[in-house]
Amino acid sequence: MEEEDPISVALKQEENISPNEAPRLSVGQWLRTNLFSNWANTILTILGALAAFLMLRGVLNFVFSENREWVAVRTNLRALMTLSYPESQYVRVWVALGFVVALAGLSAGIWANWGGLPLRRLGTWFMGVGGLIALCVLVREPSVLVDTEGKALLTLSGSLQRESFGAAMADRVNWWIAALVLFGFGIALWSRFSSAERRHIEWPITSIVYVGIGIAILTLWVVPYGHYAFDDGTYIAEPGTTVAFSTQMPWTVMWALLGLGFLLGKFLRSSRYVRMSKTGSNLLWLICPFALFWVVLRDPALDYGHVMSTDLPMGLAFGLLGAGALWLLTRSDIGEAGRIAATVLLVVAIFNWVAAFFGWYPMLQKARISFLLLAFAALLAPNFIGDVAKRRQLVLGWIGVMALVHYLATMINTPSTLDLQSDEFLGGLGLTLFVAVIVVVLSFPLGVLLALGRTSKFPIFRMLSTSYIEVIRGVPLISVLIFFSVMVPLFLPDGMELAELAAVLTGYTLFSAAYLAENVRGGLQSITKGQYEAADAIGLTAAQRTGFIVLPQALTVSIPQLVGQVISSFKETSLLAIIGLFDFLRVANSVIPAQSEFMGVKREGILVVAMIYFFFNFVISKYSQRLERRVGLGER
Amino acid sequence: MRKNIMWRLLATLFAVALAASACGGSDSSDDSSASGSSDAAEETEVTLAASGESLLDTIQSRGTVNCGVSGSAVAFSELQADGSMAGFDADYCRVVAAAILGDANKVNFVSLTAAERFTAVQTGDVDLLMRNTTWTQSRDSEVGMDFGPTTYYDGQQLMGRASDGFSGSSQVADIGGSVVCTSAGTTTEKNIADAASEAGVSIELQTFEDFDTVTNNFISGACDIITTDGSALVGRKAKQQPDGENWVIFPATPISKEPLGPTYGQNDSAFADAVNWAVYATIIADEKGVTSSNVDEMLASGDTETIRLLGGEGELQSGMGLPADAFYQVIKQVGNYDEIYSRSLNPVGLSREGSANAAWTAGGLVYAPPAR
Repeated sequence: MEEEDPISVALKQEENISPNEAPRLSVGQWLRTNLFSNWANTILTILGALAAFLMLRGVLNFVFSENREWVAVRTNLRALMTLSYPESQYVRVWVALGFVVALAGLSAGIWANWGGLPLRRLGTWFMGVGGLIALCVLVREPSVLVDTEGKALLTLSGSLQRESFGAAMADRVNWWIAALVLFGFGIALWSRFSSAERRHIEWPITSIVYVGIGIAILTLWVVPYGHYAFDDGTYIAEPGTTVAFSTQMPWTVMWALLGLGFLLGKFLRSSRYVRMSKTGSNLLWLICPFALFWVVLRDPALDYGHVMSTDLPMGLAFGLLGAGALWLLTRSDIGEAGRIAATVLLVVAIFNWVAAFFGWYPMLQKARISFLLLAFAALLAPNFIGDVAKRRQLVLGWIGVMALVHYLATMINTPSTLDLQSDEFLGGLGLTLFVAVIVVVLSFPLGVLLALGRTSKFPIFRMLSTSYIEVIRGVPLISVLIFFSVMVPLFLPDGMELAELAAVLTGYTLFSAAYLAENVRGGLQSITKGQYEAADAIGLTAAQRTGFIVLPQALTVSIPQLVGQVISSFKETSLLAIIGLFDFLRVANSVIPAQSEFMGVKREGILVVAMIYFFFNFVISKYSQRLERRVGLGER
Repeated sequence: MRKNIMWRLLATLFAVALAASACGGSDSSDDSSASGSSDAAEETEVTLAASGESLLDTIQSRGTVNCGVSGSAVAFSELQADGSMAGFDADYCRVVAAAILGDANKVNFVSLTAAERFTAVQTGDVDLLMRNTTWTQSRDSEVGMDFGPTTYYDGQQLMGRASDGFSGSSQVADIGGSVVCTSAGTTTEKNIADAASEAGVSIELQTFEDFDTVTNNFISGACDIITTDGSALVGRKAKQQPDGENWVIFPATPISKEPLGPTYGQNDSAFADAVNWAVYATIIADEKGVTSSNVDEMLASGDTETIRLLGGEGELQSGMGLPADAFYQVIKQVGNYDEIYSRSLNPVGLSREGSANAAWTAGGLVYAPPAR
C-alpha cells in the first residue's frame, strides 16, 4: 500500500472544508446548545436519559439474569445456523462460503472506494465502547447468592438474596479491565491525533474492517465457545466439539481468502484489465447463488458413462447445431425465410411441451427446454443481422446459454449422495439467507420487466402487468405462500412434484417482484419527458433509450425503496415457518423449546435471532446510505 | 417497432427460463431421497405408483419411509441440536423403516404442523403420521384416515399449585373461580370448558399461542391452572417447576381420552398391516422379554411364538410382503416397546408403571394380538 505524506493529506483535507461548514464546538458548548438550551429542553433531556437508563438496566438484568439459560442457545448454535445439514458435508458449506468471501474481497478490491476514517474518530469510538461497558457493569444489579448445591438463597421475607454492591463490582473485575483498556486505548488515539496537523490522518476503512474481522476470528482460537455435545444430559465442551474449535481453522482460511481476493482486486484495478474484471466479477455474482445451490445442497454422483454417451453429445449437438442455425438466420439476405423458420421452430417447441403433458412421446426435459430456447433465439435473430461482430454476439451468447442450461440440467438429474436424515436438510439462518438471496436476485429482473410492462405503450402488456401487480399486491404474502405450498401441487400433472422449497421460492419471488415493480415504476415516472425526447433526438432505438437513458436514472431514484424491499424480503422469510419450513426464527421459537433438555427455553433464542436479523439489516441499510451518497441522491 | 418485439421476446424468454429453473428445483429434493438408479434419474418426471399398488411396494422401491412427525413435541419428536430427530414418535418411525426396509435409519422425517398433517398424507408427501394424532371417529371416517394400534394412551389433565390447595385427588369441581390457561385452537380448550360446565363450576378460560407461553404465564402467576395432555404436564413439572413450589397434576382419571398412534391413508391393507404388525412386534417382544441386547439369544432359545415373530421359522412376515427377518431387525435396531418408552419418556418423568401404558399383564392397556 502506498503511503502518503500525512501532512499533505491533512492539507488536502483542510482545503476540502467548505467555508459554510458549522464551526467546531467544545463539548460544553455543544451540550449547552443542543441539550440544555432552555428549561423545557432540559426536562426532556433528563427524562430521555432516565428512560434510556432504565431500558439499559432492564436489558442487562434480562441478559445476565440467573434464570436465563444461554446454554440452550450455545448448545443449539449449529441448529440455529443450518439445522439438519449433515456434519460430514460441512466442507461444502465452507467451499461455498469461501467462494463468496473471495468474490467479496475481489469486488471490494476492484470497486470499493470507502475512503478513510480519521484516527481521532476511531479513538472516540473506542472511548465510547469502553464507556458503555463500564456503564453496563455499574448498572446491572448484583447477582443472586447461591448455596453449595446451586440453589438460590432466599431472605427471611422470601425474596432472593443478592450480594452487596461492592462484591458485585469486585466480581466483575474482568469487565472493568476490559472497559479501562478500551477506554485508555481510545484516549491515547484521540489525544495523539488531536493536534491540528495530525487531526486528519486517516486509515482506510477497508483495512479497519479487515482487522476487525481478523480480531473476531482470533477469538475463536482463544475462547472455546459454542459447545453442543451432550452426554446423559450434561454438556461436554471437550476440544474439537465446540463450535469455536471446529470452525477456527475454516474461518481463518476465509479471512485469508478475503485478504487475497482484495489484493487481487486492487492489482486488477490498477492493471489494464480493469473493465474486463469488473464485468467478470459482476457475472460471477450473478451466477454464484445458483452455482452454490448445487454445491451446498447436492453431492452429485455423476454417472460418467451416461454423461459421455448422452449428456455431453446432446449439449454439444444443441450448442453447435443451434449456433450454425443462428449463424444462418442472421445472414443479411435471409429475409422472410428466417421468420418462417423461427416460427416453425417455435411451433415444434411448443408442441413438445404439449406432448409432454399428455405423455405422447418421451424426450429428455432438457431437450424440450433447449428446443424452446432455440426457437426464441431464432425469433431474436433478425435483431442481430449485420456485421460479423454482431452475428458473433448472438452465436456466442447461445453457446454460453446452452453450456449453462445443460450443466444445470445434468446436475439436477444426477442423484445426490448427500445422506440426509430428514427433509429439513437446510434450515436456520442458512435457509433464511438462502431464500432471501435467491428471492432478491430473481425478483429484481422480473420486477423491472413488470414495471416496464406497466408503463409500456402496448395495451396488452400494460393490462397484463397491471393486473398481475394488482392481484399479487391485493393478497397477503402468507396466502401466496400457502397457495404455492398447498394448492399448486394439486394442479400439477400426475407425477410432477414441486419440492416445498422450490414452491416457496417461486411464490415468494412472484410476490416480491410485484412490489419491486411498483418501486421501479415510481422511479420511471420521475423521468421527465425531455429525457425521452432527447434520446429520440440523438437517434437511439427504444431498447437503447430504455437501457441507457431511462432505467439507469429510474433505478437510481428508487434506491431507497429498493433497499427497503430487500430488507423486508429478508425479514419476511420468517413467514416460511407457517408453511412448515424451519427458518431461523422457527428454530428459536419452536425447536429449541421442544428439546427435553431445554423445555420451554424460548426468550434467549428469540433475542439472539432478533439481534442477528438486526445486524444484517443494519449493514444493508448503512450500505444503501453510502450508495445514495455516492450517486448523489437527495442532493438534487 | 421491431425493437419492441425484441423486448417482448426477452420478457418471455426470461419467464420461460424462470419456469424451467423452478421445475428444475423441484426435482432436486426428489432425487436426493430417491435411490441412485441412473434410469430413474434420466427422466425428469417421477412416475407415480399406478393406482392399486400398495404404498408398501412404493416404499420398498423408493428405499425410504417418509414419516410425518411434529418436530416440536417434547419427548415425542424433537429436533436435536445436531439436527437429528429424537423421541418416542421418531423411534416408531424407525420401527416402521426397520420392518419394511431392514434399516432403521432409512427414515425421511417431515415435520408437519397440526393443520397440514392430513393434507400431507392425502397428497402423498408422507407415507404415515407419527405425530401425536388422536384417534377419533371423525378422523377415521370423514377425514379419510386409518389408525394403527395405539402406542401411547394420553388424556387431558390439569396442573395447579399445592399452595393453592390442589392435590392429586382434586377434581374439576374444585377449580371454580380459577384462571385456567391452555393453548389456543386445540380441542383441550373445548374439553375443559365442557368438563367445567358439567361439574357446574365457572372458570375464567385464557388461551395463548403455544404451551411454552402458557407455562410461562403459570410460572409468573397469571394462570392458576393450566391444562393439556397429561404427558406434556408431567414433562413441564419435571423440567420447569421452580425451587420451593409444588405443582400437582389432577384429576387421576383424565378428562379426555387421547389414544395416539400411527395414522395413514385409508384402504391400503398391505401397508396398514405392515405398520400395525411392526408396532405389535415391539409390544409382543416386551411381553416375551425380548430386548435389543438379547434378541440374538432369543432367536435361538425363545418360545415358538418368539421364534416365529423374529423370523426363525414359518413365512408369516414374507406372506405380508415384508422380509422374513423384519421384526428381528425392528427389535435389534430400535428395541421393544419398553425400551423405546424408557429411552424417550422416562427422562421427562413419565413412567409406565400404574399408567394406561403399562402392559396388559400389569394392569395397563398395552396389548397385542398373538403372532401366529
